[in-house]
Amino acid sequence: MNSLNTYLIISAFLFSIGLVGVLQRRNLIGMLISVELMLNGANLNFMAFNRFLTPEPVVGQIIALAIMGLAAAEAAIGLSIILALYRKMHSINIEQAQRLKG
Amino acid sequence: MTGFPILTAILMSTVFGLLTILLIPPERTKLVKQVSMFWATVGLILTLWLYFNFDHSKGGLQFVERVLWVKSLGIYWFHGVDGINMPMLLLTAVVLFTGVWTMWELEYRAKEFFALMFLLVAGVYGMFLSMDLFWMFVWYDVSLFPMYPLISIWGGTRKEYGAMKLTLYLLAGSALILPAIIYAWVQGGAITFDLFELQKIGFSLLDQKILFVMLYLGFGILAAVWPFHTWSPVGHVAAPTAVSMIHAGVLMKLGAYGILRIGMTLCPQGLGYWSDLMALLACIGIVYGALVGLAQTDLKYVIGYSSVSHMGMVGLGLATMTVSGINGAVFQMFAHGVMTALFFSSVGYIYDRTHTKMIPELGGMSKTMPIASAFFIIAALAGIGVPLMASFWAELLVFIAAVQVFPVGGIFAMVGLIISALFMLRVVQRTFYGERNEKFGHIPDVSPFLAVPRIILIGVILFFGFFPKVMLDVIQSAVIPFVGSF
Amino acid sequence: MDAIFKDPVLLATVVGTSLPFLSMAVILIFTRHNPMLSSRISVTSIVVAAVCALLNLAKVAGASHPFRFETAWMSSGNFHLTFGYYLDPLSALMLTIVAVIACLVQIYSLGYMSGDPGYSRYYAFQSLFAWAMMNMVIASTLLQLFIFWELVGLASYMLIGFYYEKFSASQAGKKAFVMTRVGDVGFFLGIIILTLGFGNLGIPDLNNAPGTGTITTGFITMAALLVFCGVVGKSAQFPLITWLPDAMEGPTPVSALLHSATMVAAGVYVFSRIFPFFAASPNAMLIALAIGTVTMLLASTMAMTTYDLKQVWAYSTVSQLGMMVMSLAAGGYFAGVFHLTTHAGFKALLFLCSGIFIHEYHTNDMRVIGKQGGRKQLVPMICITVGALALSGVPPFSGFFSKEAILGALNAQANPIWLFAGLFGAFLTAYYSFRLIFHLLFPKGGIEEKHAVHEMDSHGHKEEHHGGLFWAMAVPVMILACVTVVLGFAEHSLQGYIMAGGGAVKHASTAATGGAAHGVVGHELLVILGISAGLVGIILAWFEYGRKGASRNGFLSYFPPVWKLFDARWYMDAFFRWFLDTAIYSGLTSIFTRNDRRIIDGGIDGICFFTETGGRLFSFMQSGMLQYNLLIMVLVAGLAMLFFIV
Repeated sequence: MNSLNTYLIISAFLFSIGLVGVLQRRNLIGMLISVELMLNGANLNFMAFNRFLTPEPVVGQIIALAIMGLAAAEAAIGLSIILALYRKMHSINIEQAQRLKG
Repeated sequence: MTGFPILTAILMSTVFGLLTILLIPPERTKLVKQVSMFWATVGLILTLWLYFNFDHSKGGLQFVERVLWVKSLGIYWFHGVDGINMPMLLLTAVVLFTGVWTMWELEYRAKEFFALMFLLVAGVYGMFLSMDLFWMFVWYDVSLFPMYPLISIWGGTRKEYGAMKLTLYLLAGSALILPAIIYAWVQGGAITFDLFELQKIGFSLLDQKILFVMLYLGFGILAAVWPFHTWSPVGHVAAPTAVSMIHAGVLMKLGAYGILRIGMTLCPQGLGYWSDLMALLACIGIVYGALVGLAQTDLKYVIGYSSVSHMGMVGLGLATMTVSGINGAVFQMFAHGVMTALFFSSVGYIYDRTHTKMIPELGGMSKTMPIASAFFIIAALAGIGVPLMASFWAELLVFIAAVQVFPVGGIFAMVGLIISALFMLRVVQRTFYGERNEKFGHIPDVSPFLAVPRIILIGVILFFGFFPKVMLDVIQSAVIPFVGSF
Repeated sequence: MDAIFKDPVLLATVVGTSLPFLSMAVILIFTRHNPMLSSRISVTSIVVAAVCALLNLAKVAGASHPFRFETAWMSSGNFHLTFGYYLDPLSALMLTIVAVIACLVQIYSLGYMSGDPGYSRYYAFQSLFAWAMMNMVIASTLLQLFIFWELVGLASYMLIGFYYEKFSASQAGKKAFVMTRVGDVGFFLGIIILTLGFGNLGIPDLNNAPGTGTITTGFITMAALLVFCGVVGKSAQFPLITWLPDAMEGPTPVSALLHSATMVAAGVYVFSRIFPFFAASPNAMLIALAIGTVTMLLASTMAMTTYDLKQVWAYSTVSQLGMMVMSLAAGGYFAGVFHLTTHAGFKALLFLCSGIFIHEYHTNDMRVIGKQGGRKQLVPMICITVGALALSGVPPFSGFFSKEAILGALNAQANPIWLFAGLFGAFLTAYYSFRLIFHLLFPKGGIEEKHAVHEMDSHGHKEEHHGGLFWAMAVPVMILACVTVVLGFAEHSLQGYIMAGGGAVKHASTAATGGAAHGVVGHELLVILGISAGLVGIILAWFEYGRKGASRNGFLSYFPPVWKLFDARWYMDAFFRWFLDTAIYSGLTSIFTRNDRRIIDGGIDGICFFTETGGRLFSFMQSGMLQYNLLIMVLVAGLAMLFFIV
């Protein structure tokens, strides 16, 4: 059971949940959480490949770490955008943010 | 590279200026101006030191700083001065210094204004100093983009239109330059962006033809080569005073400098192939600019078109590929820079006080503000090419070369001298002579404090007008070997 | 630097020619608000300059060869320019003329300009002029000469437009600058061609060039004609005549100094400066001769119809300049230079006298001045008559000698037409000069008694007239009158002075005159013809304007079209105006402006417009919903994946 495939399936599952969340949630915070899920799916993938295929160079771990950092930065920026948006329109519903329609 | 990296220091004086301005709270405009003045003065002092320590008898590239920056692409932090960029540096320093001083009365969002201005000048210094194509392009674009906010926020007549037009034109120019630079890099073996190493490689004739025309058109837009000149009057009209000064005084020179430094260094044979076209466009520009200038009723438009005419002379000088022609072109870049800076700075004063720059609404200004008028008239005389003003020597050299290489074009362009005299004097007459306009009767003349930057500019014009040797010896030290390398 | 103090000639030259510049700088920068001090500074510097010039005149006379000092000024590639002084008899003489007349005029201006709001400015520009003109005269290379030539033009522009509130004055200044500029561009081109083809712009080198055979005659002709363009512009020769009469908008002392005695003579001076070079090309000389003749006759006819005091002298200046050009072009080198000298004296005299009248009566109209009792002003009236006699070539005044010399030169030409043109010109000159004099002396309807009010008004004024200011104006006039009386007798010593050591000049002069060996008419007959041409003119003027019961209309008024033609300056101005209006303003300029707005800008704006409209058209595809965009992105990515994997 402890094979690569299990991890891959789990990570694909995580990624898909995230993707559906991003596409379906109308709440910006929900979307942000979903993006985090997608990133974690990718992270899991990296770790799994590292563990099972090339255990010696720890490239996968490094990339996973980088992604975690990136996720943190993304959360920070995303949340600040959401805050700014909230100040402007008193809502974080994505359907309200349609200015670019022109 | 030994000793103090003076060139990087000059470049950094603007970057530090930018950073320190950003640290100041926006409401403390006085402090913003003092800090700007401080850094502009630092830049000026360093440049003057450089000018006096530049050894023109030795020639060649001096004060070289060359550090490998990105090995895999062959990008260098490579600075150096020779006779071609030395005058340009001096020009930039003088115009920045006087420009900051001219804008002393600015209160509206002063912090952002001076920050953007320093960013712009950082780009200009970088472009003039770098000898590495990658950095040249980076600095070139750095100098272009602050123009947009500077014009659209602090501008005057039709500012959004002018800003947009200028930005689009200039970016279209960069869109030609970037592929040309990458092409040169690829053809040079994709190992170095160093200008002089690329020069040593030597491109094939076909490559040179393609490269040169791309670089010529790309940089030519910035140098207001006819028929890509219309952004320049519109942009000048829209821009606030100091920006017009830097823009017409320095930024337009970037274009001509780019043609000279990159285009002619890398593809001399390409220039040989295209020189007829270049001379033709330049001659048309000289006469055309002056003729269109005749019809203008807006002071800044007039200056804008006179710039087109004068920059045509730079192009004509470059196209001749002779020592005198290029000497004259570089000298003209310098002289025209100082002269237009003076023009815009005096018009700026008049506009600030009267809130109009339409010639028919002014009139009789000599009575109301004699000193401000005198500044403009002196600039106009320099523009006409009266002897013992710097631009006379430049025009002399350019025409000597032009008559030698392109007799017909040269003589045709000389007609431009008559027309430019006519239109400059026409403007002077309509604006400054005649009955005193009572509407502006109460307006005070330039205060001594605000007169200083204009007097500095006049001093520079007259100094190099009386002693052209001081400048020409420097320019020549680079141009003679440069022409020899064709 | 040491050299300057060791050599007295150099020292005098440097001091004399730089002081006016310093005085201009000091006036403009420091003493603008102190008119008294400004004028003192300016006058002092010009007096020193005049003394230095006289010293140099004496030094040059004793020297065996010309003084030449040069220093490298700039170089660019193989083009080298030297600045320096070249003092030969001609330049020493011209330097003296310029310095002395400038000095007298500046002293005169103390009175004439007193109380003017632009007093300091006036003296600053006078100093600028003196500096530029003196440096032009002693320039050692043609390019240096050109530089100061342009600066002289600048000073002229500033001084013509001195009363800049007046539209006509600023207009006249602009006209003068642009019209001379037309000639100057030709001059400039000539210099460039000489640089390229000959490579040396030194004036003595140019003069020796034809003899060495390094350049062809065709090249000389081309270069000489281009340089002559400058002469045409500056000396108001045909077809660039009309700026000079308009230039009379400036203050009268300016007209005396710049637009009659010195600056406009600069063209003639350049001609004589490189005379041997010109003389090497017979074609160029012939064209110059024709232009000089046409100018002289045209200007004389114009002078016959105007009632403006200064205009008459302006036209007469043009015609005398034409005469000098004729003389030089006919090979009469000394005659031309001599006439330049005498003309400078008596024309300055005429203008300064007219200035006194204008200052007193506040009008330029000779009829009004005459009516108001102009003849009661004894000093100017006597002096103006002396000047007019000299101008008409009546012995023993200076003009007689120089005009005879010119007629002698014309007489040597093979074709007699030039001589007859010269005689006819002398007749016209005498006629219009005395038309003016008789208008002043014997006004139509006698002198009107001044109104009592005016008398009382000008009472304070009157006293002032006999004070320092009046004498500031009167003394220079009297000095000039004395010079006019005696200068003619110095002909032979002056000839010896000018021609001394001028081998190239002498050679060229004989070569150019060599047409008819004995001349068309004999020497004695020529003198008689010359005098009688002048006398006939005076008698005709007397008959029409002077004698009791004369109609005071002039014979020209019986031919209205001719009168109108002369009065409208042969429609030359109308032609220039028409050319400027149709070809430049409403022609090229408006076409190009429209091209800029419509085609170039229109094109660019069109591209922008299409981009923008296109964007708007396609914006329907953009819902503004972030998640739809994401969905599409994911789908496309999925499809792409499928495509690449399968």
